[in-house]
Amino acid sequence: MAEELVFIPGRWDITYNYAAGKVSSKFFAELRDNKRLMGIKCSRCGRVMMPPRGFCERCFAPAGEWVEVGPEGTIQAFTITVEKFEGNPDPPFAVAYVQLDGADTAMLNYVRGLDFSDLNRAAESLRVGTRVRVVYKEQRAGEVTDFEYELV
Amino acid sequence: MTRRVAIVGIAQTRLETEKPDQILDEVIFEAASKALADAGIGREEVDSITIAAADQIDGRPISSMLEACPAGAYLKDEIKTTEEGSYAAILASLRIMSGVFDSALVVSWSKCSEVPVTRVSNYGAEPFFHRPFGLNYITTTGFMVNAYRAKYGLPEMAAAKVVVKNRGNALNNPLACYQTPVSTEEVLSSRIVAWPVRAMDMAPLCDGACALVLASEERARGMVQPPVWIQGMGWATETYYLGERDLSRLTSLEVAARRAYAMAGVTNPLRELDVAEIHDIADYHELMAYEALGLCPWGQAARLMEEGVTEMGGRLPVNPSGGALSGSPFFATGLVRLAEAALQVRGDAGRRQVKGAKRALAHGSYGFCGQGNSVFILGE
Repeated sequence: MAEELVFIPGRWDITYNYAAGKVSSKFFAELRDNKRLMGIKCSRCGRVMMPPRGFCERCFAPAGEWVEVGPEGTIQAFTITVEKFEGNPDPPFAVAYVQLDGADTAMLNYVRGLDFSDLNRAAESLRVGTRVRVVYKEQRAGEVTDFEYELV
Repeated sequence: MTRRVAIVGIAQTRLETEKPDQILDEVIFEAASKALADAGIGREEVDSITIAAADQIDGRPISSMLEACPAGAYLKDEIKTTEEGSYAAILASLRIMSGVFDSALVVSWSKCSEVPVTRVSNYGAEPFFHRPFGLNYITTTGFMVNAYRAKYGLPEMAAAKVVVKNRGNALNNPLACYQTPVSTEEVLSSRIVAWPVRAMDMAPLCDGACALVLASEERARGMVQPPVWIQGMGWATETYYLGERDLSRLTSLEVAARRAYAMAGVTNPLRELDVAEIHDIADYHELMAYEALGLCPWGQAARLMEEGVTEMGGRLPVNPSGGALSGSPFFATGLVRLAEAALQVRGDAGRRQVKGAKRALAHGSYGFCGQGNSVFILGE
């Protein structure tokens, strides 16, 4: 007789309350209240970081001046997720790292308004180097998904 | 001059899609006790224990509380790394080099069958700007491949050939999870999961553990196994923020390799190495690693693959074991690469042995798009 093997289900259910800090909080408030995307300049090398951060990892120096970036930018990397993964939105959906005009790093968000009926064609329309613009949502909660990208 | 470190004991469990007949502790015990047996010593003769594991995959916070003793740590020194399996070997080596310890048991594991690892991986996404976008180790591979494609074109056929090569090699590895050959047609017609990455481009996850015994030069003398020397080690970490990186290349691997080569005195890796075990998270990742490791110029990995250089019988066989593409015990995969490279140098790799292998490279990787990388050079 085959031995019975027991499985015990388990689950981590822990609520976090991540502090966004002053820098990210300002970014989210500008996004929500003024429909503006703000990057921040490294006080030493001057590169404009998007998303904004309190310091530059490379120079190991604090960030300084705020700089408005966008509203258009260039795709640096993208993917179209086709598989359903637990916890993810329903596929297919496209996300892209976009270097917004005036920024030196690329920021991730959804690219909306794509036709996924032909996946290769959809991917072609997102080719690295493609120009996109920022679209703000009507209802904004002060979080990164308050905006998204669409093809120019 | 720091002390030399040798690998004197090597063990892995069989890699399997699931191990319902063993609890995690028993899988760990199996690998650790087999490594000690291979080294011909008892647990009491090892003076340090270094482990590597991921709490979220183990399903318990600070999993070392539970898993240290199955790894041999009862009333001993024990310390844990949380990057990836190969990092436990780095830390253990440094601890021996320091002179504080003379021997080390290094253990890493994952039982991927017990948890959706893509979900765990998604929780690795920073919560403010990254987590809402469905990132995991598969979808981020999509970013990397598209960035590479924009620069050099999509090496789809060469990538498929990596899978065919590795899965073919696994036929000679009785420990591999998947010991069945595949064709390029099967790879190229498998479903797309994160465009242009297909299901069969990704290393399939599995259950397993790996353990090594390390020893100082004095301690290695007179042990039952011929010592496999760690001639060089290098490791480096890139920024987490993918939007700040050049995703078309594995920059931190390039840095890690440069350090390991300098320490080992390797100037022409393609000529001076006999075999390499690369942490192939995806077939495209193995190709990109060829470039970062300096085996070919940037953008030339597909050609290297097409020319058969990295096949068994080629100038530098890569992943005779079958690599992660033949089964990846996620967190332990880099340590498995090191174990396999050590077996090659020792001449104990059975049917997957590269004849006359004297010098081997092992690579470990962690994080989205290969954020952090380690490189070992092993020799007789």
